[in-house]
Amino acid sequence: MEVSQIVFLILTVTLLGAAALVVTTKNLFHAALYLIVSFFSVAGMYVLLEAGFFAAAQLLVYIGAISILFIFAVMLTRGTALITPLNSQAGAVGVMSAIMFAILAVFLWPAPIRLQEVILGGFRLLRGGTYGGEPWQFVPNNADTAAVVNNATLRLGAALGDFAQYGALLLLSGALLLVGVIGSIWVARERKIADTRADRSEAAADARHEAQLESEAEAREAAALPAGAHAASVEGQH
Amino acid sequence: MDAIFDSINNLVKIIGDAIAGLVGSLLPHPISDIVVMALGTLAIFIVVLTLCAGLTYLERKLVARIQDRIGPNMAGPKGLLLPIADAIKLFTKELTTPAAADKWVYNLAPIIVMVFAVLTYAVVPFAPDVIGTNLNIGVFYIIAIGSASTIAILMAGWGSRNKFSLLGAFRTVAQLIGYEVPMLLNLIPIIMLTGSMSLVDIVERQWNTGVPFLIYFPLSALCFLISGLAETGRSPVDLLEAESEIVAGFHVEYSGMKFGLIMIGEYANSLAIAVVFVSLFLGGYRGPILPPYLWLLIKTLLVFFGFMWLRGTLPRVRIDQLLNMNWKFLVPISVVHILLIMFEGKLFVTDPARIAATGGILVPVLLQAVIMGGTSIGLLLGGLLLAGRSVRGERLQHDADMTARRTANQKAAMALVK
Repeated sequence: MEVSQIVFLILTVTLLGAAALVVTTKNLFHAALYLIVSFFSVAGMYVLLEAGFFAAAQLLVYIGAISILFIFAVMLTRGTALITPLNSQAGAVGVMSAIMFAILAVFLWPAPIRLQEVILGGFRLLRGGTYGGEPWQFVPNNADTAAVVNNATLRLGAALGDFAQYGALLLLSGALLLVGVIGSIWVARERKIADTRADRSEAAADARHEAQLESEAEAREAAALPAGAHAASVEGQH
Repeated sequence: MDAIFDSINNLVKIIGDAIAGLVGSLLPHPISDIVVMALGTLAIFIVVLTLCAGLTYLERKLVARIQDRIGPNMAGPKGLLLPIADAIKLFTKELTTPAAADKWVYNLAPIIVMVFAVLTYAVVPFAPDVIGTNLNIGVFYIIAIGSASTIAILMAGWGSRNKFSLLGAFRTVAQLIGYEVPMLLNLIPIIMLTGSMSLVDIVERQWNTGVPFLIYFPLSALCFLISGLAETGRSPVDLLEAESEIVAGFHVEYSGMKFGLIMIGEYANSLAIAVVFVSLFLGGYRGPILPPYLWLLIKTLLVFFGFMWLRGTLPRVRIDQLLNMNWKFLVPISVVHILLIMFEGKLFVTDPARIAATGGILVPVLLQAVIMGGTSIGLLLGGLLLAGRSVRGERLQHDADMTARRTANQKAAMALVK
């Protein structure tokens, strides 16, 4: 057994185990942490496939941003200590998953290696090789692996910049993100008190309430204090 | 003379090869590789740890000097043995775990802080050919590791089950995630000019052209320093652990060596920022006459001295000021900077081969550097001017609001009196 195969097995076991724990653990925060472990394993897979750029992107985007948003949301919600991961649809979901798994198993059973070949072939294509080829080969037998990987990053850049390939999609997704950012700024913008009709009526009610409270307080003060002392206290306040 | 310097320069390489050969002869092939890598990691770990221990002493002395105190002076001559005394103290203290803490998360967090701190050094070149691993995505890797290390602080903050820790963790998210953006944006000009993300390539390009990137992109250097300080939570922006507001932030509940790990991890992180800054903007290990290790050490210590100076001088920034500076100043100015540099990079070309391919004006390297540096400084000044104006406008508006409110109150009071 090669070292890369051992590492692959360790990563796979970690990935599947962590993924299973994500959906079974009762503690939401722990579930998010297990999700991070599984993301790490995926990044490890990328490293094993000599796709360093994707590994770093996985680290940056999935662990550095998305998981942290999950954890932040968990921290901000109350009573998340122990929640059962099952709800009323759990049975139906379980049955559907079993059916999907059965279908996949039936299609893939005659050639269990083929799935791997598909994945590896895809990466080989990205590296400039040909689709297909021998399975269970993680590290290319190329002395100059750095050049190969560099080539993969360059090819990714070229594919993203080329309008015949993914250039238009890249621009579209950029526009989508921009709209998202503008929308979130619009939602979270600083509002004047009487900005919307609802706000206005609410503010009016608040103002009336405050005025009432104030006048009551003043009436009490006026009753308790002689006129001169009252004036002095008001002067002192301002 | 050259031979001596070469042998000094190659010292680490020679020792490393000797150890690798020894291990290779003792152990079978795949295991020996793993052992050699582990030994290399250990070497980096020890160097970083020793440097950090020495720097804590220097920092305390220096900050004391700035604040007109004597500083540590009890342990050993001039307090020189203080780091050792500190280490003994931390090791012998009791390791407490709060009863309500999330045990696994709480205890794992310091370890993860330390692991991420050491991981950064994997791609930093210490001398020609002396580098953990020359990744072709080195700079991107550093950013990715920095962004993932936020997890450790979140784990510490949540696992302690303490509201101050949790507040520290919330601030972490706002600050660290926010400041990743300008950090990444300010690397892009360098990557565009070098055409590579490897730190070795970046250092070598500065040596080959003779112009460090600090002259090309002073704005980027400034933004990178600010966001680096914010990323590692060092003093003018140490809101994660602001003592006067949230006790000690995310590490309130840690004691003994758990606290020691977190502290040294953070220290190693800021040292890493200094080393990366030196590699990116000051030419890294390259320099005339002196051997590379010494150059790297001198430059890094100079940058770190700047960090200490800032810590001793500036008061803590408020959280809203910090976030405003990031999103309203650093990010927009960095984006405009990238656009301008992109344009200039196409227009003023130093390589005759590229003129034939894409066109442009052929200029010497120094002129290109001066043009880009001038743009950078001009943009910085313009941005500061605009920001200053808008801030002054806001302040005037605020003052006017307050005056109006005061007048209204006075009128109401007078009405009451009557």
